Amino acid sequence: MAAELITAVIVDDHAAIAAGVRYWCDQADPPIGLIDAGDRLAGVWTGEGADADVVIFDLELVPGKPDFGELRRLVDSGRRVVVYSQHADNVTAIKCIDLGALAYLTKREGPEHLVPAVRAAAEGRGYTAPSLSGALAADDTPDRPRLSPRETEVLRAWFASSSKELVAAKLHITAKTVDTYIARVRVKYASVGRAASTKSELITRALDDGVITLAELNETAP
Amino acid sequence: MSDDETRAQLQRGLRIATLILAVLTVNVLGLIHLVHGLEFHDYPAAQFAAYAALTAVLATEAVLVVRRRPWRNGRRIAIAVVLGASALSYLTLPDGMTSTTVDWLFGAANWAGAVVLLDRPFRIFLAFLVTHELLALANLLVFHEVNRAALVRFTTGSVTVFGLPLLMAVVAAVLGGIAAEAARAARELELARTAEAAASAAHRRRAQRFAELSGTAVPLLAGLADGSLEPSDPVVQRSCATEAARMRRLFAETDTVGNPLLHELRHCAEIADHKGVEVELDARGQWPTPPVAVRRDLTDAALTALATAGSWARVTVVGSADSVSVNVVADCAEYTVPSPATPDVRIEIFGNEGTVWMEAQWQPS
Repeated sequence: MAAELITAVIVDDHAAIAAGVRYWCDQADPPIGLIDAGDRLAGVWTGEGADADVVIFDLELVPGKPDFGELRRLVDSGRRVVVYSQHADNVTAIKCIDLGALAYLTKREGPEHLVPAVRAAAEGRGYTAPSLSGALAADDTPDRPRLSPRETEVLRAWFASSSKELVAAKLHITAKTVDTYIARVRVKYASVGRAASTKSELITRALDDGVITLAELNETAP
Repeated sequence: MSDDETRAQLQRGLRIATLILAVLTVNVLGLIHLVHGLEFHDYPAAQFAAYAALTAVLATEAVLVVRRRPWRNGRRIAIAVVLGASALSYLTLPDGMTSTTVDWLFGAANWAGAVVLLDRPFRIFLAFLVTHELLALANLLVFHEVNRAALVRFTTGSVTVFGLPLLMAVVAAVLGGIAAEAARAARELELARTAEAAASAAHRRRAQRFAELSGTAVPLLAGLADGSLEPSDPVVQRSCATEAARMRRLFAETDTVGNPLLHELRHCAEIADHKGVEVELDARGQWPTPPVAVRRDLTDAALTALATAGSWARVTVVGSADSVSVNVVADCAEYTVPSPATPDVRIEIFGNEGTVWMEAQWQPS
C-alpha cells in the first residue's frame, strides 16, 4: 500500500509502558512509527513529536491529578488524541471524550485495542474500546445524549464480551453493523457538550459515511 | 420505658409534691399566721407585699408544672424575689417577734425557694437555705434585742425551717440517683438481650450456611474421602472449583463492604485465577444492592462459568438504577445452565465456537 506510515507520539512517565507500546506499534501491520516523548509534554509540541499524526496521552503524568487542561490544549490545537489511562472511572472516560479525545483506553486494554485506536485516530475517527463502551452504556449524567435501546444494548454487549464477532453473533447482526451502532453513539456524544475540531470532524465523517442522518442527529439532544 | 422517661416521671412527681407542700406552707399556714398576727404588725402592707411576692413565685411554678416547662431565665429573678420578700418582711417585723407565729415568713420562704431550685444541684439549694438563714439571723442580731428566749426560738424554729426543705432536697437527690441507677440497669438488660439475640442469629446463620453447603459440598468431600470420586477426573475437579468458589462467596457474604455484589464476584474470580485462568473483572455504572438470594443467583451463573473456563474469562457488571447484569465470557468447553432461585433474575446463555457468554440480569419488579 502506498499509504504513508502513521506516526504517533507517546507521553507516559512509565518507561515500560512506552516500551510495550513501541513493541505493539512495531508488530502492527503495517507498523506505526512511534516517538517516545517520555514524561515531557514539550516532546509533543516540538521536534518530531509536533508532526506526529496521533498523540498517545497518559492522563495522569502526575499521579492523582488527571491533566484535563493539557488534553484540552492538545485537542484545541487540532491534535488527534488517544487517552491511555490507568483511570477506570466513568466520569473521567466521558470527560475525555467530551473534551475531544478520539479514544479512551484503560491500561488494561492491550494492543488489540490500542493499535486500532491509533489507526482510527490518525484518520480522525473515534475508537470506542470496551471500557469506554461500558462507561457510555452506564452514563446517567443529565446532559448525556439520547441513545436508542439498541445502541445501549450494543454498547453493553461490546463492553461485556470485548469481541465484536461475539456481539454480532449474539445480537444476530453483522460485525459491521456493530461498528455502525458504536460509531453512531460516538457521533451523538460528539454533538453534545463542548465544541472541538476533532468532534466536528467526527460528525462530518459520520454524516458523509451515512452512519447517522442529520435528522437523527438533531434528535439526540438530551 | 426509656431511661429519660423513667427519670422524667420521677422528677415530675417530686416537683408536684414540693409545690403542694409549698402552697400549703405559704398560702395556708402562712396566711393563717399572717392574719392572726396582723394586730402586731406595724407595716401590714409590707407583710402583704411579701406574701404576694411568694405567692407569685408559687403561681409561676404552678403554670410551669402544668406546661411541663423548667425554670429558665426566671430562676434568678424568682430567688431574688423570695430573698427580697424575706428581707422586707424581717425588716418590718415588730420588735421581739422573730421566729414566732407572727414571723409567718420565716417558715414559708424556704419552700418558695425549694420549688424554684428543686432540679438544680444540691449545693445550690443548700446555698439558698444558708443565705435565707443568715438573713434571718442577721436581722435578729442587728435589729432586735438578742436574748436567750429569742435565740432559743430561732434555733428551734430553724430545725423545721431549714430541716424540712433540706430533707426534700435530699430526697430529690436520692431519687435522681435511683432513677439513674434504674436507667442504667434497664440499659444493661437491653444490651444483654441484644447480645443474646445477635448470638442466636449468628448461630442460626452458621447452621443455615452449613445446611446450604451440605447439599453440594459434603457429598463431594465424602466422595473424595471414600475414594468413590477420583481427584484426577476433570468433572470432579470442576465440581471442586465450583464448591470452593461457593464457599468463598459464602464467607464473603457476611463482609461489610460498599458493593457486596462486586466483592463476592471478586472472590469467585479469585478461585478461577488460582487455577490459572486469566480473569478480567470490570464494572460500570451504579446499582442498588441486591438482596443475598439475588446476589447468589447472579454470582452462581458467574461461578459455574468460571469453574469451567479453560484459560481466560471476562467478568463484567453493568448496572443502572433499575437493573444490574453480570456477564461472563469465557472459553468453556462445556457448561451447565444454572436455574435461578429468585423470580427477578433472568439467565441467558450464548455459546459460539468454544466461547460461552453467560448473562445473569436482575430487574427488580
